[in-house]
Amino acid sequence: MSAPDEDNTSNNTQLASNFFGELLDSVIMDVASECHRVARLGLDRNLDDEEEELRLSAQARARVADPSNSETNSKYVVDIFGQTHPSVAAEIFDCMNCGRSIVAGRFAPHLEKCMGKGRKARVKATRSSTAAAQNR
Amino acid sequence: MSSNSDHQNHRRRPYVSNQQRQSTAVIVPTPCSHLTEFKAGRGETAFGRCGACGKGPPRLYACVSCAAVVCGVHAPDHEHQIAIDVDRAELFCCSCGDQVYDRDFDSAVVLLQTAAATLGGCNSLCTPPPESIRKRRRVDYRPWTPDSKERALLGTHSSLLPGNNEDLSPNSNFPVGLKGLNNLGNTCFMNSVLQALLHTPPLRNYFLSDRHNRFVCQQKNGVNHNKNDRKNKNSQRLCLACDADALFSAVFSGDRKPYSPAKFLYSWWQHAGNLASYEQQDAHEFFISMLDGIHEKVDKDERKPHSQGSGDCCIAHRVFSGILRSDVMCTACGFTSTTYDPCVDISLDLVPTHEVPTKTLHSCNGKAETVNSGISTLLGCLDRFTRPERLGSDQKFFCQQCQVRQESLKQMSIRKLPLVSCFHIKRFEHSPIRKMSRKVDRYLQFPFSLDMSPYLSSSILRSRFGNRSFGFEGDGKDPDCSNESTSEFELFAVVTHSGKLDAGHYSTYLRLSNQWYKCDDAWVTQVNENIVRAAQGYMMFYVQKMLYYKASGTS
Repeated sequence: MSAPDEDNTSNNTQLASNFFGELLDSVIMDVASECHRVARLGLDRNLDDEEEELRLSAQARARVADPSNSETNSKYVVDIFGQTHPSVAAEIFDCMNCGRSIVAGRFAPHLEKCMGKGRKARVKATRSSTAAAQNR
Repeated sequence: MSSNSDHQNHRRRPYVSNQQRQSTAVIVPTPCSHLTEFKAGRGETAFGRCGACGKGPPRLYACVSCAAVVCGVHAPDHEHQIAIDVDRAELFCCSCGDQVYDRDFDSAVVLLQTAAATLGGCNSLCTPPPESIRKRRRVDYRPWTPDSKERALLGTHSSLLPGNNEDLSPNSNFPVGLKGLNNLGNTCFMNSVLQALLHTPPLRNYFLSDRHNRFVCQQKNGVNHNKNDRKNKNSQRLCLACDADALFSAVFSGDRKPYSPAKFLYSWWQHAGNLASYEQQDAHEFFISMLDGIHEKVDKDERKPHSQGSGDCCIAHRVFSGILRSDVMCTACGFTSTTYDPCVDISLDLVPTHEVPTKTLHSCNGKAETVNSGISTLLGCLDRFTRPERLGSDQKFFCQQCQVRQESLKQMSIRKLPLVSCFHIKRFEHSPIRKMSRKVDRYLQFPFSLDMSPYLSSSILRSRFGNRSFGFEGDGKDPDCSNESTSEFELFAVVTHSGKLDAGHYSTYLRLSNQWYKCDDAWVTQVNENIVRAAQGYMMFYVQKMLYYKASGTS
């Protein structure tokens, strides 16, 4: 038989252990119950896919950031059809508003004035006579 | 309280909530002798103690067979197996020592919880969506190839476009429809969106299968073909759908020279006058404006119903329109007000840096990789978009049940997913107060495959009720409601913006036959998928993995 003091100590230890166990349970159980439900009902089935996407993304960024990677910063030489293109589009067609021949790359600024829209356009009522008369 | 009954009949008392009616002091009635006897010696835990050891709450289980109450320790000893975890309203199998699940139980719990939370009103579950009663049968996708009779028809009524012969240049190895678009002067905002739309499968199919024939449309509306008659030019019918048809025909012709979408620009500026100026526009604004243009013109012609949510009005809405559900819940009584609104895209705020969670992945060999510490993700933005948001005290919502303005919670969810989901990332912040704008360059991770089911109204509602499995608004029986099979999406186009706010450049990455191409105005180049993953996404386009076709006719 152990001495009363030792009894007390082991009792106290046991009690403390019990209390700790209960506290731990109360903290864990709610979360465990919720997560258990989510897992059993299959509501988290995409976690693997999501993590895979994140991993691929991180990998991609690392590869692109690599200065030895030539693909990222290369200027265009030819497109996939073997064509080259000037910095200002050179195709020429007729403006559907005034009928003049316009270079593609300058069509938008022309059209803006031609249609009388935008800040830089002059506020003029009739379009057709103006377009024909103006000498740009 | 003396009250004249006659007086009461003449004057109608205003409705007051239960809360306001209760006085502060609660009377506890005198117990009967039987109750007193029962409680003697049992103390506070008279109504909830383990039958074996007398342990009180919490963590007690109530047997469903005999109504005995046991604690966790004595549960395995009990003669019956199934019990209810009283704290969590979960079924517990005493034999397995594990939580188990049942649909009927969940339904019962939800109904009880809702009744308790909303003081008797189960309105958030019972609100029917304001849509057409007409049921639409969904038909599964079946691939089609022409039979011999159809082949003969194809042979006699059509001719191969030049450049499509198989023995010609390697250009034919690239997908048809891949073609550069000339920059007409700061029009990359338009080119980038057009490239995405040209390769939006349902939209592409619609125009390429001649569903909006521009010649027929123009003929029907009596367009004057006399080019020299300038005066009549102004009455020339504007139809963005016709211009789109012309664009599709040109781009899918097989010719690889870049196309100048001049007529399209002209038409669009006529439609969206306020945006017509020679300066860089916002690609997203153009996208919305263009869909609106197609809707407006087609709608007037066909006289179809205007309801955007059902997508019956025009091809633009048929492809892009979804339905958002907005729930506003009173924090006092639980009453929920639900509204539905159609949307053609979802604009997402970039999650503020301090809110981004850090994630640690553990690889197989046990080493912890800290991946994506603080990286914003599209899913994170969607989580944020659908999370319950507490409306400020200055935005109190009038609760119909309480009859006063109360603080409330607002939560968004997706009732119906569109065929094509466009996500717009709000990278351009315009501050009218500070009179300045800025661009947010922060990287956003976006997946190539996307499952939208966690953001559906059914999922959000389910999680609001503790992830219970219960019948929700005709779960699966309602054809308008999205279910799991239609919530899987694949990325097919990404519009990116590089550079500064006012001196930037838009380009588009396209995914065709699982190969990525970069469309930078006139330049079309092939790129590795890593480039796309690492790119700064501004608008991401996803299409439903399993395309389905609406059965026509039957009501």
